[in-house]
Amino acid sequence: MTNAADTQASLELVLKDEIIRMYEEVADNPDAEFHFYHGREAAELFGYSTEWLDRAPAGAVNSFAGVGNPHERANLRRGETVVDLGSGAGLDSIVASWAVGDVGRVIGVDLNPTMCLKAQAHADATGASMECHEGRMEDLPLPDASVDVVISNGVINLSFQKRKVVEEMFRVLRPGGRISITDIVSGKQLSQSIVNDPKLWAS
Amino acid sequence: MFGLLEDAGFKRVKSAVVPRFRFRRQSTQNSAEAFGVKAVMMTAEKPEAA
Repeated sequence: MTNAADTQASLELVLKDEIIRMYEEVADNPDAEFHFYHGREAAELFGYSTEWLDRAPAGAVNSFAGVGNPHERANLRRGETVVDLGSGAGLDSIVASWAVGDVGRVIGVDLNPTMCLKAQAHADATGASMECHEGRMEDLPLPDASVDVVISNGVINLSFQKRKVVEEMFRVLRPGGRISITDIVSGKQLSQSIVNDPKLWAS
Repeated sequence: MFGLLEDAGFKRVKSAVVPRFRFRRQSTQNSAEAFGVKAVMMTAEKPEAA
């Protein structure tokens, strides 16, 4: 490996740890204040219905750390198979499972096995048909052309390899499949000091 | 992101700004605005022929 590749690989490992740390903190301390809105306050801000937020387990709602509402344009239909990239505590997966029903399938994918367990527990508590797989969005643990819809909420920006993430979404979708994602984008090139700072990147 | 989606083969790529997104702390919001940071919603389709 070249020095540049070594540096990149090293940064990615540190970033992975920082992402896990930050989002576990949101899940474990939902009453803490972060620089981003989270929990029910954020979900309401982005138009999640009161009915959804009352029906979903409090743990999933309180740990919500999305940046928008991917359900607004997902048009999920009964029977569809949905993948939720970066499923976190599971709120978006649970909402998706209500739309696709018991004949559909919702697969959460998360870097953090602890969050996968939490999401699974939250889904089970509501009877939602969600399964969570530990995995990286740059290397999805799913077969080619196996899903109808990819949803994601505020996680693709965390990847150093966004092109690879997009290629993976394309690979796992069936022909005619679609994505509905919300995420953070930057209109300017971030400074190297930000890129090299895992705490800033993870936030 | 828009370009990455098109490069990968997605069609009907659409995006819109999430109107209510903002950071909690004003200092973070100011920095974000300086870098043109915003939340967007994006939709796209994989062609039937792909």
